[in-house]
Amino acid sequence: MSVELAGIHPTRQELLRLRRRKSLAEGIIDILKKDLDALIVTLFDFIKGVSSTRDRIDEALGRAYRLFVEAQMIAGSKKIEETSKVVCPIRFDIAVTAKKGVLGLSFPSFELVREAGEDGPRFSLLDTPASLDQSAMQAADGFVHIVKLVETEASIREILDVIAVKKRQVNRIEYKILPQLDAAIRYIELIIEEAERQDATRVRVLQRKRKERASKEVSDQRPQNGSSQQP
Amino acid sequence: MSVWKYKHTTPTVIAQKIRLLRSEDLIDLASTDLERVRATMMKTAYAEDILAMQSERLDSACFETALMRNFMRTCKKIVEQSPKDVKALIDTFLKKFEVSNVKSILKSKHAGLTSEEALAFVTPAGRLNELRCREILESSKTVRDVVEQLLDLEYGMMLVDALGEYKRTQNLLLFETILDRYVYNELWRVAGNLRGLDKKIAETVLGLEITSANIRIILRSKMLGLNRDQTLRHSVAVSGLLDRRKLEEAVDSTSYDDCLRRLLTAHKPSLTKDYQYMLGGVLEAFEASHSVVRLEHALDENLLRVNLRMLKRYTQFFNIGLILAFTNLKWFEVRNLRTIVKGLEEGIPSSEIEKMLILTH
Repeated sequence: MSVELAGIHPTRQELLRLRRRKSLAEGIIDILKKDLDALIVTLFDFIKGVSSTRDRIDEALGRAYRLFVEAQMIAGSKKIEETSKVVCPIRFDIAVTAKKGVLGLSFPSFELVREAGEDGPRFSLLDTPASLDQSAMQAADGFVHIVKLVETEASIREILDVIAVKKRQVNRIEYKILPQLDAAIRYIELIIEEAERQDATRVRVLQRKRKERASKEVSDQRPQNGSSQQP
Repeated sequence: MSVWKYKHTTPTVIAQKIRLLRSEDLIDLASTDLERVRATMMKTAYAEDILAMQSERLDSACFETALMRNFMRTCKKIVEQSPKDVKALIDTFLKKFEVSNVKSILKSKHAGLTSEEALAFVTPAGRLNELRCREILESSKTVRDVVEQLLDLEYGMMLVDALGEYKRTQNLLLFETILDRYVYNELWRVAGNLRGLDKKIAETVLGLEITSANIRIILRSKMLGLNRDQTLRHSVAVSGLLDRRKLEEAVDSTSYDDCLRRLLTAHKPSLTKDYQYMLGGVLEAFEASHSVVRLEHALDENLLRVNLRMLKRYTQFFNIGLILAFTNLKWFEVRNLRTIVKGLEEGIPSSEIEKMLILTH
């Protein structure tokens, strides 16, 4: 991995700063991983909800269809078809709000709102059997579950987006920022070690030179002292 | 003399009644397929109408058309041979189908269907034969035009007043209620014009039918949570069998059980047995299932049983009881066959189809 080291000041202060950054990055990874765990647990909860909602939709629409066929069997398929052509449709709207969820994320909340329509029955009370009304009720119940499913799937998508972002963040820190920091720390450590080694060598040289100078001075002074004592 | 006037009708009706399918035959048909149903029906009174079906198409809509055509032909045959007062009653009974055609035409115009598409929903009946229906459909563009086209019949005059509300709400239910109310009112009025035993039988049978229709409306309204005004607005005429005040009390009741119990006591004392025979079974059926769908089924079944009961009670054949019972038996046979055909087409298990049949045993 190529790491840009040109702008790094190989100083102890920089080393300390980088080490602090590294421990901060590791802390962030830890937090992000905990967030990911929480998101994944919530994701699985939602996924479990999806299958049960799908079952409920299947059940409600299945019942609606059976009752519809029953109505056709009782009143005749022509009568039901004819009725279907003029029946006032139920107008639904979906109210979208946001609700707070795991990690303070806001998930979409959809609610099926039946628009106020004409009061009274939708089908002729004498020409059509009660099973037609019950079929319509079951179908409306099915719509409620469909909207619930859409809400859950939207929440899942939201969670998956957040999980992807968090994973990218973890990966970026784990595989980019941390190696960069490690490399920079290692680089500074090497530079400092090198500097220490050079300093040590320099000290040794200086000490040696100092010693040599000292011994030279001693040896220079000794003959002078010897000549002054001669008569 | 009352007996003498039935000299032509009774033999015709008895001959037709013998040709009705037995309950066992219907149950057997429920476990076959459409091809077998067609083959079996070719050996019955429906042969002519089944033959007229387009052979390449074998679906419930085709069968339905054939069955309805057969029913109308059978009724027409009885009308032709009936004495004047009975003829008036059967003609009024057939107004149900005329009214059904009026509704179909109104619905077609409301939905913007073409004449050909609309004619598929029409079963020619009485004065509204195919030609007249086509003429009305082709010469009208809107619901208002249809109502104007019907002004030569009594239906047009009745519907004109409701055009304003239709324009406001764009809902045809008011028209339907007006038409249904008119037919049931007429049935009750014409039954009242009969004399002696005929009057007693007709008022009992038709009165119970009207009551049954009202009970159906009240219970359905309860299921839909409609308020008192809406329920009463959709109710049909009250026959002489029921006390209007008690009927309204039943509408006000809070539960189905309470409603049915109130209805059980809302009859004229002279009709206690027949009325309670009809409603008692309905209450039992409801208590067992707590379903309005089953309750409607029980109402139909018990209405048919009341017809047969009347037939057994007044054993001499030369009265209107036989004609009314046969008409109802025939109607329920057509309905049962329609149920079987649709059930078979949809692949419903035979046991389920059987539960939906209105059988006499």
